[in-house]
Amino acid sequence: MTFPIRIGAAALLLAALLVGLVIRETAARAAGREVILVMQAVDPRDLLTGHYAALDFTQAVPPGRPCPPGTGTALGRGWLALTPGATDAKVTGYAKTREEAAKLGPVVVRGQANCWAAPEQDDTPGRISLDLGIRRFHADQKQAEGIEKALRERKVGEETAFAVVSVGQDGKPRLKGVIIDGHRMDLSWK
Amino acid sequence: MASYKTRLQADLDRWIAEGLVPAASREPILAGVAEPRRLEASSALAAVGGLLLGIAVIAFVAANWSGIPRLGRFALILALFLGVSGGAAWAGAVRPLARNILLLIAALVYAAAIGLTGQIFDIAGEPSAALHMAGLAALLLAVAGRSSAAAVAGLFFVGVGDAGFGFLDATRGLPPWLLAAAPLAVALAWTWRSKPLAHAAALALPVAGLYLLIWLHSDVPNNLDGFAIAAGFAALAAGARWLDGKDHPVAGVAYGWWVWAALIFFAASGFGPHPPTGIVHRVVWLGVSAGVIALGLHDRRSVVTAAGVLSMAGAIGAILFDLGLGLMTAAGVFALVAVVALGVGFILRRRAKA
Repeated sequence: MTFPIRIGAAALLLAALLVGLVIRETAARAAGREVILVMQAVDPRDLLTGHYAALDFTQAVPPGRPCPPGTGTALGRGWLALTPGATDAKVTGYAKTREEAAKLGPVVVRGQANCWAAPEQDDTPGRISLDLGIRRFHADQKQAEGIEKALRERKVGEETAFAVVSVGQDGKPRLKGVIIDGHRMDLSWK
Repeated sequence: MASYKTRLQADLDRWIAEGLVPAASREPILAGVAEPRRLEASSALAAVGGLLLGIAVIAFVAANWSGIPRLGRFALILALFLGVSGGAAWAGAVRPLARNILLLIAALVYAAAIGLTGQIFDIAGEPSAALHMAGLAALLLAVAGRSSAAAVAGLFFVGVGDAGFGFLDATRGLPPWLLAAAPLAVALAWTWRSKPLAHAAALALPVAGLYLLIWLHSDVPNNLDGFAIAAGFAALAAGARWLDGKDHPVAGVAYGWWVWAALIFFAASGFGPHPPTGIVHRVVWLGVSAGVIALGLHDRRSVVTAAGVLSMAGAIGAILFDLGLGLMTAAGVFALVAVVALGVGFILRRRAKA
């Protein structure tokens, strides 16, 4: 084979892989089970990597309650059990295997959780910090600035920002959109 | 600086005046020497114009990036990658330098395309996976177009991707990808006789060795695994030296780097959680360093000599640190190695005379 044919074939194969990745991820995102998770914080946007809102998933553990079963600190990546509620889904357990996690909640997703709680103290809430591998929501400048402003201006303890996450058959969480002050923004190809 | 032809003209005039060369040979000799290529002004202006046009297009796209639909942005990235790759294909066998550079650019554009695609479509993933994918793509382009520059980029991406691999996790995942990529790059450098790739590949191999030790959670008594890797690099260096003696064009490059690798692994294996007991390691380290200095001087390889000198400085420092105030013991160790070095030198000199 000559150089032009070999280089052309390699380039087309690599381009096809990239297109395939986009199609596969989009299909998995559309087909997955939707869960809504509360978002807690936002970092400054980085001009060099485009406009985005940094997402941080932290859930509160009510005062006097222990951490969900299996959760703790420095557990590494495993499977999180989520239980959807009226407004959002809460972490109800963590396990090393998918089968064990499925016993703790109806939706299981790959990730890790660090939990701290003081059940012996009735006035001290605990917290669970989730790492689902989803860290940013890329948006155009106007949208990103709006999300950042809404998150910055809300009152302490007010849960008005949510991430819409699609959990696929493979257990991988994929960001589908965000809900800010009741206004939902879904990711699209436009 | 005067060109070769200009210097040859002056030499020829001198040789003719000294009667070494007949005057009639002057013109045929000069006619046989090609003039160095000069870049025409039109070509230079075309290159500058093309470069500025490219910058203008990039600036225009960047200014309107947010306003371009997601699919449009993705199409632009793919078009850029395919355009640069197409340029490399066009360069083909006729313009090897252009092909090499364009494939490097294509590899870098593809690496950026992976990140931008993730950003455009909000596809989350591990950064190490993106780097591994970029590395594999660069290596594929390198093999397809025999591009040493793209292969170096591929090694870099794979190596950096491995670094974020979660080595310190309690659970051991897949082995580092550099364990496969580095030997492949050595083989390509050998086959293509590419010195730049030989430098990168010869350096990547010890990094792969280090990654292997980390991945294995090295815990062998007396750090035997580290010594085994040191011995492996010593053997590789010996093989490269032998090939260098047969005028292989890239063996000398590998010879130098692998001597460094062997010495570093040997020296480092004397420390850590399970070091060998006693001062045997330090004595051998000192002796080996002296041997490497002699070898570098014999082979006229300054990089090998430098490795030996630095290694010896490290060994002396380690011995003084180990022995603390036991200066009499330190004196004994240095005297022993000195006697051995002098003895070996004396024997070699007698053999050479014989």
